[in-house]
Amino acid sequence: MSKLLSVGYWVFFSFILLFIALPMVVVLAASVSPTSHVTFEFWTWTLEWFGKLWTSKWLDPFILSAKIAAIVAVISGVLATLGAYAVAYEKCPGHDAIMSFLLSPLAVPQIVKGVAIVLFLSSAGLFRYLGTPGLIAGHIILTVPFAVRMIATSMYNFDKNLDRAARILGASWWQRIRYVLLPLIKPGIFSGMTFAFIISFNNVPLSLFLVRPGQSTLPITVINYFEYSLDPILAAVNVASLLFILAVIFLFERIGGFTVQIHGGSK
Amino acid sequence: MSAAEIADIELVGVTKSYGGNVVVVDNVSLTVPRGEFVSILGPSGCGKTTTLNMIAGFHEPSSGEIRIRGRNQVGVPPEKRNIGLVFQNYALFPHMTVQENVAFGPKMKGQSKSETEEAVRSALKSVRLEGYESRYPKELSGGQQQRTALARAIAPRPSVLLLDEPLSNLDLKLREAMRIELKEVQQQLGMTFVYVTHDQEEAMSMSDRVVVMSDGVVAQEGRPSEIYQNPVSAFVADFIGKSNLLPVKQARDHDGRLTLTLGGGLSLVSERSGDIPANDITLCCIRPENVQLARKGASGENLLTGRVDKLVNLGAHAELWVDVSKDCLLKVQVPVRRLQGIEIGSHVDLLIESAAIQPLAH
Ligand SMILES: Nc1ncnc2c1ncn2[C@@H]1O[C@H](COP(=O)(O)OP(=O)(O)OP(=O)(O)O)[C@@H](O)[C@H]1O
Ligand SMILES: [Mg+2]
Repeated sequence: MSKLLSVGYWVFFSFILLFIALPMVVVLAASVSPTSHVTFEFWTWTLEWFGKLWTSKWLDPFILSAKIAAIVAVISGVLATLGAYAVAYEKCPGHDAIMSFLLSPLAVPQIVKGVAIVLFLSSAGLFRYLGTPGLIAGHIILTVPFAVRMIATSMYNFDKNLDRAARILGASWWQRIRYVLLPLIKPGIFSGMTFAFIISFNNVPLSLFLVRPGQSTLPITVINYFEYSLDPILAAVNVASLLFILAVIFLFERIGGFTVQIHGGSK
Repeated sequence: MSAAEIADIELVGVTKSYGGNVVVVDNVSLTVPRGEFVSILGPSGCGKTTTLNMIAGFHEPSSGEIRIRGRNQVGVPPEKRNIGLVFQNYALFPHMTVQENVAFGPKMKGQSKSETEEAVRSALKSVRLEGYESRYPKELSGGQQQRTALARAIAPRPSVLLLDEPLSNLDLKLREAMRIELKEVQQQLGMTFVYVTHDQEEAMSMSDRVVVMSDGVVAQEGRPSEIYQNPVSAFVADFIGKSNLLPVKQARDHDGRLTLTLGGGLSLVSERSGDIPANDITLCCIRPENVQLARKGASGENLLTGRVDKLVNLGAHAELWVDVSKDCLLKVQVPVRRLQGIEIGSHVDLLIESAAIQPLAH
């Protein structure tokens, strides 16, 4: 019986893994497709599509997206850390309500947010801020709730006795933040920033409203391209951005050491 | 205490209440002279931690005054009080090695690198934890974590060290060993220790003085032997060690000797009239080890006869519960070698020294 269960478990588990991995496998295969129609042939493949990415048509949007994502990650990280500190750590008056408020943008569809931001910018006469500044602001609005969530969790888990221990040992407020709180919530901050980076880098629904002609993010460029042609270069873009994001995650993890946070492991 | 000596800690009528009506610590006054080991002993929830937190500065008293080395501490934050604190769960910094943990205090106080290193070395030496400098707290056993916590607290050389049930997470053997070490460290450093515990053995074995607390008030204060031998109330008698608390129906005073009439027609003579007026006496306390088995046919005062109701052999000695009258069960502690011929149901004669019977008012 238990053997049957365990076989069933593995079958089911493999199925799920396959389900998750299949789209990536397809994209990967398509990106090395030898013909401009996407075909799958194991015996002939080419990297020429990746070579074609090395033009400003693709590089410029990539650099813009990466730049925006990096700025968004840093600003969201800072804002969310400050917010989480007040709400989750100091438990300021009404902290529960403020927390709900901070998380509430998660419930608003991105399209609605996009329309709202554009309406706001135009009615406030700030239309010229469309493009990079608007994208950064919009993405921050989008990502802060995620980052607050992750950072607040690590603050809730922080043992307040450590702060008292530091205090009785003579540490000032700033020294306690610097030497005790920040090092211990660093994984939370970095996982929050990683999420912000990925969300910003991949964002379509909000960016659609905020890009300005001639200055487009990578996902928007992909979508525009997709309207006219479906060739392996799209797959190559996707594979390349996937690799880039993996590299970013790896980098952030090296600095922040947050695998523990995400897997809840005991390190 | 002579006038020239400044007490390290003084609590004067300290009260802490929450929300105006929940009084957690009620008018506690306490003087701890320099270099003394004082224990605050009491059951769970009696306000020990609250008292300690007020001395440390984490809570402000609702009224009353706290002085450290003669200086009023109202409004002085914990980081400025120059006090050490050992937490029940140690609260070691998990991201720092033993070395870094212990160095934290001296570093925050702005000591130089060499001073800090010297402070760490001598603190680790005091707690015998040399060689563990580069370990992280999670790589240490409970006892080693405890020592690290102690070393971290003494490294900045605070004037006073507060300890909140520091041994309660250790197993019995280690706890007993650590008691001795703690006392040694305290004597070696000549530091004032205020030690909070609910374990009376701990308090009795280490302290110069014990403060027994109950429901936020000081129930009794004194040297351990004094408290053990002369408890002032049933609460203290019951909390410190084992005791028989027998209700007294009537007490009569004959020139310093008291005749106590108990239920069931029993009567005992006590030589300790103390300060309690005979009319106020409602109870008497008899320690189980002060009840002896009498030889058959012995006569004299304070001689009781009864039937053994329960018998527990504890190795070195045994505990008997003896039915001396209808509603009076007397706990008796006897050496195991005297147990011959005694079993449940046997009749035994018991003798109680008149000096060992402590009359109590409440
Ligand atoms: N913030 C608070 N508001 C109201 N009551 C409180 C508060 N903090 C503590 N108390 C109460 O004060 C009493 C004393 O608490 P305290 O922690 O000092 O007890 P303790 O003697 O240290 O007990 P233990 O041995 O269990 O640690 C408890 O009854 C507790 O419920
Ligand atoms: Mg306590």
